[in-house]
Amino acid sequence: MAEDAEFEAKAGDLLCQFERILESDLLIDEIGFIHPSQFSKLKEEAGSSKSATSEIMGYDSSDFWLQDHKLGISTEILHPLYIAARNTFMAATRKYRSFCNQDAQTVAGDHLSELSNSFNIVESEVMKHSRALLLLSCDFGTAWNSRKFILSKKQHLSMYLDELLLSKLVLSYFPKSEQAWCHRRWVIKLLVQKGYTVEEILKKESELVERIAEMYKMNYRAWNHRCWLVSYMPREQVLNEVKKTRKWAALHVADNCCFHYRRRLILKILEDTTCTEISSGLTVDIYQMWKEELDWDEMLIKRYVGREALWIHRRFLLACWMIHFVSDPNTCEQEGEISNNFHFFLENELNLVNSCSFIPNDDFEDFQAQATYSGAYLLWLIKNCPKPNMIQLEEKLKACNLKTLLYKVCPEGRYSLWKSLMDSIENSH
Amino acid sequence: MGELAAEKHVKYILSVEKRKDDFQSVVMEHLRMNGAYWGLTALDILGKLNTVDADEVVSWVMSCQHQSGGFAGNVGHDPHILYTLSAVQVLALFDKLDVLDVDKVTDYVVGLQNEDGSFSGDIWGEVDSRFSYIAILCLSLLHQLDKINVEKAVNFVVSCKNMDGGFGCIPGGESHSGQIFCCVGALALTGSLHHIDKDLLGWWLCERQVKSGGLNGRPEKLPDVCYSWWVLSSLIMIDRVHWINKEKLVKFILDCQDTENGGISDRPDDAVDVYHTYFGIAGLSLLEYPALKAIDPAYALPVDVVNRIRLRKKLAV
Repeated sequence: MAEDAEFEAKAGDLLCQFERILESDLLIDEIGFIHPSQFSKLKEEAGSSKSATSEIMGYDSSDFWLQDHKLGISTEILHPLYIAARNTFMAATRKYRSFCNQDAQTVAGDHLSELSNSFNIVESEVMKHSRALLLLSCDFGTAWNSRKFILSKKQHLSMYLDELLLSKLVLSYFPKSEQAWCHRRWVIKLLVQKGYTVEEILKKESELVERIAEMYKMNYRAWNHRCWLVSYMPREQVLNEVKKTRKWAALHVADNCCFHYRRRLILKILEDTTCTEISSGLTVDIYQMWKEELDWDEMLIKRYVGREALWIHRRFLLACWMIHFVSDPNTCEQEGEISNNFHFFLENELNLVNSCSFIPNDDFEDFQAQATYSGAYLLWLIKNCPKPNMIQLEEKLKACNLKTLLYKVCPEGRYSLWKSLMDSIENSH
Repeated sequence: MGELAAEKHVKYILSVEKRKDDFQSVVMEHLRMNGAYWGLTALDILGKLNTVDADEVVSWVMSCQHQSGGFAGNVGHDPHILYTLSAVQVLALFDKLDVLDVDKVTDYVVGLQNEDGSFSGDIWGEVDSRFSYIAILCLSLLHQLDKINVEKAVNFVVSCKNMDGGFGCIPGGESHSGQIFCCVGALALTGSLHHIDKDLLGWWLCERQVKSGGLNGRPEKLPDVCYSWWVLSSLIMIDRVHWINKEKLVKFILDCQDTENGGISDRPDDAVDVYHTYFGIAGLSLLEYPALKAIDPAYALPVDVVNRIRLRKKLAV
């Protein structure tokens, strides 16, 4: 029992120190859990000046480390600190909820001002402790919810923006936190509802995702958030995003998420293009954008050999072309041009497949992969070819002997898939 | 090839529950209900559910129910549809669905359906195709599927389909094996699999198998044992499982075991956890590994449990 009490006292003390630090420096923009051995290293580097500041601030410099708005927490103390944060938060939120129920019952009571005073205190306790808890356990849903509950009754823009900061801080060391991303969406939806202009926020959000994506590659939650933003973006911003993310994508050719984001943007542009715009020549712009994307992807495929994400992107561009430019009745006016384009398109794609299916003797794995992806792409091309154009395609395939190419590049373990696909394609034509 | 260290895994799963003395074990307490589902379903597949005190589990599960009818991840936490399904599944494992106030749980789930047919995870309104699957499965287990607008629910799931044949969290979201499992499961449970181009989706799913035999969740990612479940169950539901190499996948899962202390990890030689232990064992069950109970790919519960529930419905009618 004495041990428990000691643990509890120590834990409570740690929480006080932690919350004091958070209040003392509102600009903390990065937090990390640090092994004790790293602490001594940090101390050495900082010299003696550091221990003096921690004394003034009243925290133990072997438990916490604060410099340049970066906060380190010793992994040694995480367990007791978490227990204290959780218990204190849960007690505060219970108290707050019972207050809320009471409040509803005694609106016209005599002690209204007294009541509202202590209500405010409990409310700020919940905000303070949920913050400390979330910085230790990023997906503690009940703590995020308690903040949403309080915020939904407030009207201050600054409070909503503070929430974006808190979730950003959490994401600085838990970049995959589902709840932190979810909280951002909740805040943004609230802002939209309340009539705030969110264009600037959307822009900042988009940049935030990019920074976090840099830290942790292929971060599904982060990119999903960015995809979600698209539905709120005006056309101009969507076009801008297409331009802006090109460079990042070219530097991260294995990050399928970013390529998917571009697909999302392109589809959004296509969706929003109305028939009148089509007849007034806007399709030409869209066609141009699509063509640029196709050429750019080809350039990347040739430069970065054997990257799956690039070939998947190409599959999309191909399917997109078949749907929106070949079989779209709205483009009938330009039919002559399109069928002409089909010929060139086919020629170009088959040449690309041919050149990428070559495996040099040195047997590099990347070239093997490139050959496999190009073969799969050829299958994709055949599967997506519109019926009226099939004869043309068949002729080409025969002329270039491309079916034997398929057998040559098919990897072990994919025979049954590729064969089934070929059979079903042949049966349907 | 090694063998499944079944006894060690049982010991490991039982020990996880008791560990509370370090940060790593307590920091996951907000999703203990999911943990209970993973651990207990794994034990049942291994034929060892009887090593657990059913009454104790059931009373703990019921102590997590909120007045709204939904369940929380742990006592005193807020309810969420994620934990509500796990709670119902755990009760189903023990054949204790009768302790539930079915109308109350149903009301909770029904209340989360939105105008467009999608489902929110809780009162705070986050939408995800996962929640559609969860709502549909939860109500199916309670024989209450007719209480929601199924047609709209199906339409929303279909709207999350991408041109590559896969599904994302929301319309326009990137295809992900976990989301695909949820969407295919939702369509399977509502008899709506005709919305899927099986060759196209099967193709995408098969390309998840990498050289080591393991499956990844998305293009360019490393293989991970949990996708043995997400990808495999989807392939089974759309009848394309013969397109992957099952032997190599079995070997990959077995290579991820800690043969000394039990448990399965995401990849060979990584640290084990109960989540990957469940998905490894469930994957092996789908691959018809000897001496394991069969698991249903859409219900994510042992086949005998699902049959029991179906039979009850017939008898009730």
